Amino acid sequence: MNLDEERELVERAKKDSEAFGKLYDEYYSKIFGYILKRVANLDIAQDICSETFLKALKNLWKFRWKNISLSAWLYRIANNEITNFFRKKKHKLVSLEKISEPIDGSNPEIELIEAEDRLKMHQDFLKIQEKILKLPPKYQEVITLRFFEKKQIKEIGEILGKKEGTIKSLLHRGLGKLKEDFFETK
Amino acid sequence: MEEKDLIKKLEEISLPAIELPTHKARLKSVLIERYFQEKRRGEFFGFFRKLLPVGMVAIILIILISTNLIFPKYSLAKAKEIALQDPQIKEWVEKGAVIKDVEIIQNRAYVLIQPPEKTREVPIEGKTAIGVPSVSNVEKEEFKGALAEVNMREKKITKIEKITPPIITLTETEKEKVREIAEKDLKVSGIIPKEAEIQEISSLPPQLELIKKGNSVQIMPEPKTENRASIIYQSGEKRWEGKIDLSKERVEEVKFLGEIEE
Repeated sequence: MNLDEERELVERAKKDSEAFGKLYDEYYSKIFGYILKRVANLDIAQDICSETFLKALKNLWKFRWKNISLSAWLYRIANNEITNFFRKKKHKLVSLEKISEPIDGSNPEIELIEAEDRLKMHQDFLKIQEKILKLPPKYQEVITLRFFEKKQIKEIGEILGKKEGTIKSLLHRGLGKLKEDFFETK
Repeated sequence: MEEKDLIKKLEEISLPAIELPTHKARLKSVLIERYFQEKRRGEFFGFFRKLLPVGMVAIILIILISTNLIFPKYSLAKAKEIALQDPQIKEWVEKGAVIKDVEIIQNRAYVLIQPPEKTREVPIEGKTAIGVPSVSNVEKEEFKGALAEVNMREKKITKIEKITPPIITLTETEKEKVREIAEKDLKVSGIIPKEAEIQEISSLPPQLELIKKGNSVQIMPEPKTENRASIIYQSGEKRWEGKIDLSKERVEEVKFLGEIEE
């Protein structure tokens, strides 16, 4: 989807649930994936992802197109929710329990267990992510966006609402602190 | 490890690409359902927004007249006044407590009383610090807050409940962050001598507020007073306290606590 198409879809989504559904389908995987890479826990990632999209739904009417992809806005909401989670050390559960019947006969518990097994196979990632989690949130964000989400500096600046120079500086300092942690572990 | 090696490691790491189709589908259902709720809410208020320029004065007048004629006036000031007539509440207020918040629901008022924010005691054996109460002087049952329920019709207190705000323990990472914020702050470096040592880092309890919930109220922490910490420095016999806002990563204030004397 190019920016023009996205802009049109966003405007429609403010009044049309089907258009909102399309935006959700487009960005769910990216946002969930990002949150998972930040928190490395599937239960928590699910909850934060739910909160992120709920906030997006509630505030979509306020969203003003600035020729930047909607995904930047969604990443920003996700960042805020992750920060809130770590600050409060609790997370609000979005009541998906409203839907009592699993959809299409799927079993969410088994799906979660299988997903957790797949996550555990990425030991290198989990070890490095554990070290990243010790950094202040401002460094976690830039490092995860740059190396795990493969975003360019300009994109990271759009997501975080910061200048490119600031992003480079944060990256450099964040990597410096991460490096120290590696040095201490040795 | 060099930075370039770290960058290489980060760029080459195998990343998890995990999806949860059930969560995706369930969340979509909830969101679409919520979409319609939000839309209905928007349409409801949108109707009134259209009416506003035309019938604004008329509607406001009707509301004012009906509330004044049919419902008696229950003011927050009146609720406070009734609360202060209670001897227990009066005693707390005389000792420094404040009425922090008042909410009125129908003919009941809820009055939240909180003690003033003060420095946490850091006892030193055999010594007392001026300005910092020693452990032996602290009352065994320290007042931590209370919620009073007032019957506005009968103009009297029907219930007083003592409350215990949650105690939040800072993690080592958070304590380290407090240290960092304090070290970089000009107020701290300007007031506190370099040779001063950190004695204690602890969380500051948040101020509380009342939130209406149905026919009652909930006591919640005030968002802007959450996530704050206290850092105590000592140099010789002198002590200082810094108050840190962890969310904004800044020092709110630095104050001299006094000198410790035998």
